[in-house]
Amino acid sequence: MSVNLTAGAIEALFNECPVENPVLQVMNIREYPPGKQGHTRYRLKLSDGVRSLSCFLLASQLNHLKEAELLEPNCVCMLKKTISSYLAKKRVLVVLDMDVLQTAADVGGKIGNPAQLTDKTADQQEAHRSTSSSDEIPGPSGYDTRSSCENSGIKSSLMKSSWKGSPVKGPGMPPPMKASPVKGPGMPPPMQASPVKAFGMASPVKRSGMPSPMPASPSPGPSQSPTKLTPIDDLNPYVSNWTVRARVTNKSDVCNWSNSRGEGKLFSFEVMDESGEIRITAFNSEVDKFFSLVEQNKLPIKRFTSLKNDYEITLGANSRIVPCDDDHDVPTVHYDFVPISQLEAKDPESIINVIGVCEEAGEVSLITTKAGKPLFKRALELTDASGKTVTLTLWGDKAQRFDASCHPVVAVKGARVSAFGGRSLSAPFSSTLMVNPDIPEAFELRAWYNQVGHGLCSQSLTEVRSPNGEFRTNWKSLSDVKTEQLGHDGKGRGECWSLSQLSTGQEAGHTLNWLPANRRAHRDKQPHPQSHLGAYYFSSVATVVYACKENALYRACPAGSCYKKVQERDDGRYHCDKCGKDYPVFKYRFMLSVNLADFGDNMWATCFQETAETLLGLNAEQLGHLKDTDEDAFNEVFQKVYFSSHIFRNRVKLEMYNDECRMRVTVMDVLPLDHRQYSRRLLNSVRALARDN
Amino acid sequence: MSTILDAPRPRVNFSLLSRFICKPVCFVGRVEKVHSTGKTFTLADGEGQCVSVELNDALEEELSGIVEVIGIVSNKGAIIASTFTMLREERGILFDLELYNEAVNVIHDFPQHYPFDAAESG
Repeated sequence: MSVNLTAGAIEALFNECPVENPVLQVMNIREYPPGKQGHTRYRLKLSDGVRSLSCFLLASQLNHLKEAELLEPNCVCMLKKTISSYLAKKRVLVVLDMDVLQTAADVGGKIGNPAQLTDKTADQQEAHRSTSSSDEIPGPSGYDTRSSCENSGIKSSLMKSSWKGSPVKGPGMPPPMKASPVKGPGMPPPMQASPVKAFGMASPVKRSGMPSPMPASPSPGPSQSPTKLTPIDDLNPYVSNWTVRARVTNKSDVCNWSNSRGEGKLFSFEVMDESGEIRITAFNSEVDKFFSLVEQNKLPIKRFTSLKNDYEITLGANSRIVPCDDDHDVPTVHYDFVPISQLEAKDPESIINVIGVCEEAGEVSLITTKAGKPLFKRALELTDASGKTVTLTLWGDKAQRFDASCHPVVAVKGARVSAFGGRSLSAPFSSTLMVNPDIPEAFELRAWYNQVGHGLCSQSLTEVRSPNGEFRTNWKSLSDVKTEQLGHDGKGRGECWSLSQLSTGQEAGHTLNWLPANRRAHRDKQPHPQSHLGAYYFSSVATVVYACKENALYRACPAGSCYKKVQERDDGRYHCDKCGKDYPVFKYRFMLSVNLADFGDNMWATCFQETAETLLGLNAEQLGHLKDTDEDAFNEVFQKVYFSSHIFRNRVKLEMYNDECRMRVTVMDVLPLDHRQYSRRLLNSVRALARDN
Repeated sequence: MSTILDAPRPRVNFSLLSRFICKPVCFVGRVEKVHSTGKTFTLADGEGQCVSVELNDALEEELSGIVEVIGIVSNKGAIIASTFTMLREERGILFDLELYNEAVNVIHDFPQHYPFDAAESG
């Protein structure tokens, strides 16, 4: 395959005339010793068959092309994006994107006989070099293959590591026009729509493919405030000292950390203008300076003197942010929301934007993290026009500040997809939560919800959890309890698990729906229920078929948390063996025996105070009063509970009672049965079983 | 036609009707339209497909919401109802028609686990 070089391209590039995807041949590649960050840069000499120019600099994200030996002298390539810049007053054309069309081996030799297009300061030292002999020299004929004029007059002055923006860490050529989510080390992962840290281009939100070099707008000298604004799209590490005018789209909270290297804090925010978006991070002292200045939807003008990463800005000591008031031409925020129904297709740990109506919000709960620090959390049910619902977890400030009244429309930018409970969402620290935002998607969603959505019973992608919320419910049917001999110590599958076993998920027993490995992902340090030796916890859907009303109540010691049964004395006082004291009164407490049944089996269980109260619908005192006064009403209470179905969270344990060893089941929790969720769970199980067979 | 209630009548949705021509079925759907004569109305199943239901006696009361119809499937795919029940909304819990539809599909996807014929003979 013969490739034609774009004649005249070199001259055009040099003169900053637009050239569309010029095809050029690489004459030479020079490696430059690492600059401050220790990265190799490659300087290219490219030719179009007529002229050659050696002031091309390969953007470091393309370094792999050279290192993989795709890019070598004599290969032919197409420049897709270049930027013209100045480094220490020398002209440099940075190649930001290119394709290798033909490797050097295929090309065979130098095409044409290009003359060096020089910069003013070039020395010309020609060294002759014999070409690799080859017969096929494609390209404009009429030139013979002569030894290339290698320009060994190294314009080293051009390559002084004097540029402030230091090059990027790590390889990886992003597909042009797209940014893919990548986790930055230690930093909150960037979002799908916004630029990736240390990679890729600025978000292609409003991007036009531009192969021609764009004139950078560097400002002379740091002390002078530049009057010219740079579009965000044009930002790259090769310019220093520029000004950007953009709208703040997202602002994260201040995050403090301490590691072996000391402490620090940071906050980040994203801005966008009509050319694109970019994320800006401020550390330590800059946090104090800028945190209050930067507010969502306001319009700061930023001026920086240093750029830490490609396409992600770090505010340096000399940076300035000035809020500006006129926002006529800076566009408002743009998001790419993922419909909830598509979340199943998303990988866990991916970052997406989502918008939905908050149908339900749990209470704010305080949990303790692994590090021992208290953390607030709150679970919301979000539903959208796709007809599906998902649970979104808010943390910290967001959890506390959230106002769930009136079914607000909630938009989250930067939510993380998790595999917990199927699919669920988490709003990590770096994400932004907007309640009833002023965007068209929100209005559409509100309209949809008012007309249709509120009546829909959408299916949740997140499995139902027990109110503790932290672990996945361990569903067992009552027949399972018998057949699997749950709660028996040391008996095969009925064995209880130690905490370490649980956390490694080793004996997950895939055939049984036991504690899934995703529990590992939980950072809460709540003592695991199954950590009690000998006790097994599970949940069941069951119906009460009998409740013993005779011995439902017992007389208990009135003192604090002593629940011991008291003996009535002759003098009408009540004696507690545990306290060793006599009391004039007693307290009624529940110890209700119930028989629970499901499709497979039935079992006896005991409900103590709280669970009995929930089940019967009144407290012990009230029932005690009825027992003493109104027998019919007392009976009625029990009548009502017969054949009522609930979700029972039970504990089964081997217990000693008067030298007798029995399996005792205690009801830890009684929850209302949501038939829809139960049905869904059953349907999913059926389908899962069918798939596995 | 009290005899229809003696035989098992599988629950069906619109797509399954063709399999049960001239057979008794149980169809649950949401009332879409009621004919002015009151002798026929349409029900939509969980997938949104509509079925026409014909009655022997005209409706006496307003029909809305979710209705369960037991009847025979005609050649044209309509249901000639012998009896029907309106499922009233209970304590604000709405009947999830899509979920019901999934369950119906499961019943028919696994006939070995949901044997209607065995029930008939047993």
